Amino acid sequence: MDHTRHRRSIFCILPPHVLEAIVKNGSNAQRRMAEQMLRSAAAMRTARAAVDARLKALGPSAPTGAPHKQRVIFTTSHTENIPGVRTREEGQGPTGDAAVDEAYNGLGATFDLYWDIWKRDSVDAAGMELDATVHYGMNYDNAYWNGERMIFGDGDGRLFNRFTIAVDVIGHELTHGVTGHTANLDYNGQSGALNESVSDVFGSLVKQYAASPRQSAAQADWLIGAGLLMPGVKGEALRSMKAPGTAYDDPVLGKDPQPAHMKDYVTTTSDDGGVHINSGIPNNAFARLAIALGGYSWEKAGQIWYKTLTDTRLAPSSQFMDFARLTALNAFQLYGAVGKQAVIDAWRQVGISVN
Amino acid sequence: MRIQCKTLGGFAYVPGLQRPIHIDTERLNTLQAGELESMVRAAHFFDQSDSVRPAGAADYRSYRITVEDGEKSHTVQVVESTADHSLLALIAYLRRLGADGPS
Repeated sequence: MDHTRHRRSIFCILPPHVLEAIVKNGSNAQRRMAEQMLRSAAAMRTARAAVDARLKALGPSAPTGAPHKQRVIFTTSHTENIPGVRTREEGQGPTGDAAVDEAYNGLGATFDLYWDIWKRDSVDAAGMELDATVHYGMNYDNAYWNGERMIFGDGDGRLFNRFTIAVDVIGHELTHGVTGHTANLDYNGQSGALNESVSDVFGSLVKQYAASPRQSAAQADWLIGAGLLMPGVKGEALRSMKAPGTAYDDPVLGKDPQPAHMKDYVTTTSDDGGVHINSGIPNNAFARLAIALGGYSWEKAGQIWYKTLTDTRLAPSSQFMDFARLTALNAFQLYGAVGKQAVIDAWRQVGISVN
Repeated sequence: MRIQCKTLGGFAYVPGLQRPIHIDTERLNTLQAGELESMVRAAHFFDQSDSVRPAGAADYRSYRITVEDGEKSHTVQVVESTADHSLLALIAYLRRLGADGPS
């Protein structure tokens, strides 16, 4: 029996024309075996053709390297019990619940930017399911990435609206996942501000790319969280990449504390060392670069930033200067001396000298 | 029992909104005071230690909570994404009391 099995395994790797020759010329035993192999090979080809046809029906690039857009939206119904109840899954239609549907669409818009522009298949580049929880907590004025999923509050309804209202906020949170799977920038001080800035940069690109029609760098508002502040609050958004420090100035919220230049860098122990404050500096460098280069932001400036974020030389502890240097190197690789000079100019305008 | 709770960080980090909540159970009605004290017990607050910063997480809020009960006083910094449910429930209750109280 062992002997037979061994011979059969040899037949398996023989091409059809050899098997046919054995059927014609071999001994009775050899012929029977070869005939059997040919039949199973034919059955295999039929099965493979059927699978190929099904994959083809899924889309042009389906058989290999296909994107895995798999969204699941959960709701905690104003409790803190994560993950909550599955409410909308990939392919299902709108629910009529604004937060659920905005999260679903925003996850889709973010997935599309990363896939269309960089062929990045989800947060981990390996088709990870995108999970979001909405209606988290009571009067909850926040959105966060817990390392595995996005969580969105509905806001208190007095100062803040629901956090799914701005697609760049959704892009921002998912990008924390991308950063976690790439540069993994330490979440404090300058590396933390870079982590925050990268999320604002790609969050803004999601908004510009998802807009209809798509927005150029010149057309973009460069605001993070437009629509998030309730009517009556004096402000247009939570942050402004084009003009950090000008997003709001309100009796209750105070004034937007973001600096646009290194001379105004804020040293603090709050907010993990000011990660949401000093991110204004690299944010402004990016917006300046994108506007200077012209066209769509994802075409050049976004390419330089993505190449830097995924560059193995970008250490978790990177400071502004380390990041700036790498963007200049990557700009040179992508766009030569002209590209590098544009990057150097953008950083110089926020007080960071790269040579 | 006196409790102080300060919110730190978050995507919508606004320094102007970082005013801590101060609660004194003697100033609450009996029902609220009882609920709050039982939540502190349920969370084993005096046995809690600071949360470890969660790997890969971002924009989460932290809460620095101090509870003074007679001779005892204890402070912990709690990260919302890794806190247990009993602590999150306590924080939610404190925030509700803080929102209802005089500002």
